[in-house]
Amino acid sequence: MSWPILTVLLGVPVLGALGVVVVPRQRPRLARLLLLATTAVTLGLAGVLLVAFLAIPPISDARLSGTADGKALRTITGPISFQFQEQVAWLNTGRSLSATHPAFNEGNNAFNQAGPPPINFSYHLGVDGLSVWLIALAALLFFLAAITLSRRKERLRAFASLMLLSEAGVLGVLMSLDLVLFYFFWEAALIPLYFLMIGWGDEHRGRAALKFIIYTVAGSLFMLLAIIGVYFISGAQTGVHTFDVPTLIAAESFVNSSRGSVLTLFGHSFTLLNAQDWMFLAFALAFAIKIPLVPFHSWLPDAYSSGETPFLVFFAGIVSKLGAFGFIRYCLTLFPQASHTFQPLMMGLGVVSILYGGLSALAQRDIKRIVAYASISHLGFIVLGIFALNIDGLNGAIIQMVNHGIIIAALFICVGVYEARFATRDLRELGGLAKPMPIMAGLFLIAALAGLGMPLLNSFVGEFLTLLGAFQVAPAWAVLASLGMVLACWYMLRLYQGITQGHLRSPDRQVLAESANALDRLGRLDAGVVEVVVLAPLVALIIFLGVYPGPVIRNTRFSAGQYITAVDQVPATTAAPAGRAVLAAARVDP
Amino acid sequence: MSRLGSLLGATAPPWYPLHFIPGSDLIGILPILIVGAGSVVVLLADLAVPRRGHPLLPGLSALVLLAALGTVIGQWVVDPAHSLGFDGAFASDRFALFSDFVVLATALAVVTLSPEYLRRRNLEEGEYYILLLASVSGMLVLDGATNLIVIFLGIELLSIPLYVLAGFARGERLPQEAALKYLLLGGFASGFLVYGMALIYGETGQTMLTGIHAAVTHSALHGPIDPMLLAGMALLAIGLLFKVSAAPFHWWTPDVYQGSPVVVTTFMSVATKVAAFTVFLRLFGATFAAYRSEWEIPIALIAIISMVYGNVVALAQTSLKRLLAYSGIAQAGYLLIGVAVGRPDGTQAALYYLAVYAFMNTGAFAILTLLSRRGEDCDRYSELGGLARRRPLLAALMAVFLLSLAGFPLTAGFFGKFLLFTAAIHDGQLPLAIWGILTSAVSLFYYLRVILVMYTDVPEGSPVTDAAGISVGAESTRDGGWAGAGIFSKAGVGVVALAAAGTLVLGVFPAVLYTLLQGISVVRG
Repeated sequence: MSWPILTVLLGVPVLGALGVVVVPRQRPRLARLLLLATTAVTLGLAGVLLVAFLAIPPISDARLSGTADGKALRTITGPISFQFQEQVAWLNTGRSLSATHPAFNEGNNAFNQAGPPPINFSYHLGVDGLSVWLIALAALLFFLAAITLSRRKERLRAFASLMLLSEAGVLGVLMSLDLVLFYFFWEAALIPLYFLMIGWGDEHRGRAALKFIIYTVAGSLFMLLAIIGVYFISGAQTGVHTFDVPTLIAAESFVNSSRGSVLTLFGHSFTLLNAQDWMFLAFALAFAIKIPLVPFHSWLPDAYSSGETPFLVFFAGIVSKLGAFGFIRYCLTLFPQASHTFQPLMMGLGVVSILYGGLSALAQRDIKRIVAYASISHLGFIVLGIFALNIDGLNGAIIQMVNHGIIIAALFICVGVYEARFATRDLRELGGLAKPMPIMAGLFLIAALAGLGMPLLNSFVGEFLTLLGAFQVAPAWAVLASLGMVLACWYMLRLYQGITQGHLRSPDRQVLAESANALDRLGRLDAGVVEVVVLAPLVALIIFLGVYPGPVIRNTRFSAGQYITAVDQVPATTAAPAGRAVLAAARVDP
Repeated sequence: MSRLGSLLGATAPPWYPLHFIPGSDLIGILPILIVGAGSVVVLLADLAVPRRGHPLLPGLSALVLLAALGTVIGQWVVDPAHSLGFDGAFASDRFALFSDFVVLATALAVVTLSPEYLRRRNLEEGEYYILLLASVSGMLVLDGATNLIVIFLGIELLSIPLYVLAGFARGERLPQEAALKYLLLGGFASGFLVYGMALIYGETGQTMLTGIHAAVTHSALHGPIDPMLLAGMALLAIGLLFKVSAAPFHWWTPDVYQGSPVVVTTFMSVATKVAAFTVFLRLFGATFAAYRSEWEIPIALIAIISMVYGNVVALAQTSLKRLLAYSGIAQAGYLLIGVAVGRPDGTQAALYYLAVYAFMNTGAFAILTLLSRRGEDCDRYSELGGLARRRPLLAALMAVFLLSLAGFPLTAGFFGKFLLFTAAIHDGQLPLAIWGILTSAVSLFYYLRVILVMYTDVPEGSPVTDAAGISVGAESTRDGGWAGAGIFSKAGVGVVALAAAGTLVLGVFPAVLYTLLQGISVVRG
């Protein structure tokens, strides 16, 4: 494909946002139409991109060979192949002061050495088998969020344009192949998100937004330092200073960096962290906050419980995946050695997140907070899978990222409907809603069952693979993590039963439920056209990916193999024998 | 030497009165001559103006500044490298011209904002423009100064009008306090400066920076560190650090920023800082470069102290002007990273950040100017409450400036900080970069809080809404019968929009400015 599909994909939401702004205030219908059209076009483009990507020979070969018995279960290895690349120079400081004028060079010690290395970064886009799925997921969720927005009248244009800008930012993060460009999008995406958070939501939104932004930016700023560090350290080794991700991965600067010096203290010897370890930690901090992993999670319940449904659909659905994406794309490939060093730490944090998130979800009465903590628990599985550092775990993590995006969006839409109808988020005040709202209850049931990891629904596949991967490395962690699935049953069913079974416990709510206020425009209490239209594709995906995950798994497995190749350039001591991995994978593939 | 200049100098026509000054020297200081003469012209015009607040004075001042800007651009195009004039006492190299441009553009923005603001505050005195132009001429002198005496001349010429301007609203208590504080502490700082110069002169026997550079380099290469020279550098640095309001030499800043009329604060916070940093970079980036191992750590420490102090104390502010004052102290800290790094990349990064800083800080203060009411400045957080609903454009632009000050991507502040941190890390000064990162994270809190206030609605009928509602910007021009009011009011919004456009363009295309900086030449002096 010769036309720059990635730039177009990035440009459509930006143009849409500008378009929405210039629509006159008196024409909210036109603004809404424009929003829907923009997100629909983006979704279409993302679909084209996915199909085109899967048709590229090595990938399509992998997919096709998968139809034959067991052949795709070969461990596929090879360098990460980025497709649809576009590159334009952005800032190139080839010449520097010292070159043009002798004043800085002559006669004094300070400037005798050669000038600074030129700073080069470029507008470099590309996708691989990891990001292409997330791009499709993002486009889908933004489209669905646009549909859920269709009831809103007040300040629609502002919401729509900010939402489209967030979409551009998220897509930029997923597509960028230059560290500076990546950081640029990573931070720039926060601006529209911040304005969305402070503009819409419940009364605690201002504090929640400030907390979210300060958490994420504080983490990201250290990543910026590490990015500059990668630039200079890698440049010093290879002689080429670059921020270009494929070049940096190919340079393998940190594959075999020497260990830090050893410090002996009170008879124990400690290995000090080397530069690679510090940079890994800086990247990991940014991503761990974004996901979030447990010690860094406290922004999430506030942000999720104060946000509005359309916002949460894409915020919970895709923005939190960016952290996991960052772990895979940057931590594993740039710092393979440190990834192995910190494998126990990261897996441990994953398990802690799973258990802490699950237990906290049990303790909550606020239905949005239950979903928020459930999300933390599920995201723990993703991190556990990534840092199993084997194909099964990583493959599970990639699938689970997509699955979780679908499930969490569906759950927030369901919970949002109940909140909107009954003006409460308190589980104690809700109940018995299966009878008055049967369609809603049915859709909610599927989403909740997917959330607890029911077999034949999509989450099961991903969580199973991540546990499979983790078990090969650290059986104890895997066993502990599987307790999280038990907890998931408990809190999800508690949520579902609390809302749909029993009876409305508060007399006021009963009155409210009967008043016209709580009904939708058609005078119905149950899910309206909008809710069904939004939830139907999500539920369909939940079931489809649960029943027939084979094609997707084979494709992501190919990509997981590439990343594992990158991370296993280090002679790994912890990696499981390949034969065992293949054996294990054979059991999942239907 | 410019061709035109050498022509004038070589064959001076008989009518040329100043035979003892080569024409090329005069060409070199042409922007200063224009602004200085302009100041006198405005002074005379003030006598002829029929009534207070006549648009003639701001119009004339704007013309003078535009002419000077044109000259600076012409000099930049014609005359790239070595252009020392007055026997080496004044350089009009691109390094100076770059800062000249920033200073003049800022002054032009301030002059555009002033008439409407002064009318609202009832401060319409002609002296305002005269003093402003005089101060600008001092800054232009300072930008190109390559002689200790000329540096001192520039500093005093820029400061003395500012002392008066700081107390321009002389009927009120805060401006009086501001002016007195600024005068006393400024005089004190000048004392340090002169003492430093005296020590350096005593040790090297030179006032020309070229000569001092040679002596410093010689001293660094042969023989032990010269304590007298070092003391001179330290005292000189203290005088300049006072002007750029770096902690712990910042004590005047919050009070003066708060007490001065907000247009003066705009000018003071941007233009003074630019001019002072220019000479700072010239002295420490080139003249004293050989002694870098001695002054590197103190300067880096002051940078860290400024970043930490400015950002942390800004958290506790309830006055917008004080908030921006502490933010300015922190920004001085970031700029000092460039000085401490010193190399070409540090200097380039600092110059880049200066230009960026001019855009974003002028913009932020300009919005406060536009929002200030009859009789008092817009200074409390609560006055910004619900601004997004009342004046969505201004709120959005203010958000752009604040995000840029916080260093978010898409705005110029990001690449400014990125280049500074890159230079610091390349130089091995990791602590500077780490402190910069940490304090940037702290700064988010207060910048974003202002945005939060703007985008949060205040309850209907609260006194703040009423007061601000009747008095902001365009609405307030209705009541006056003043001819130029409408034009200048619109131009004020234009200035803000221009600053925002610059902030955003540099935030997406950093190469635009960086390419200019690559062609820059510094005369070591």
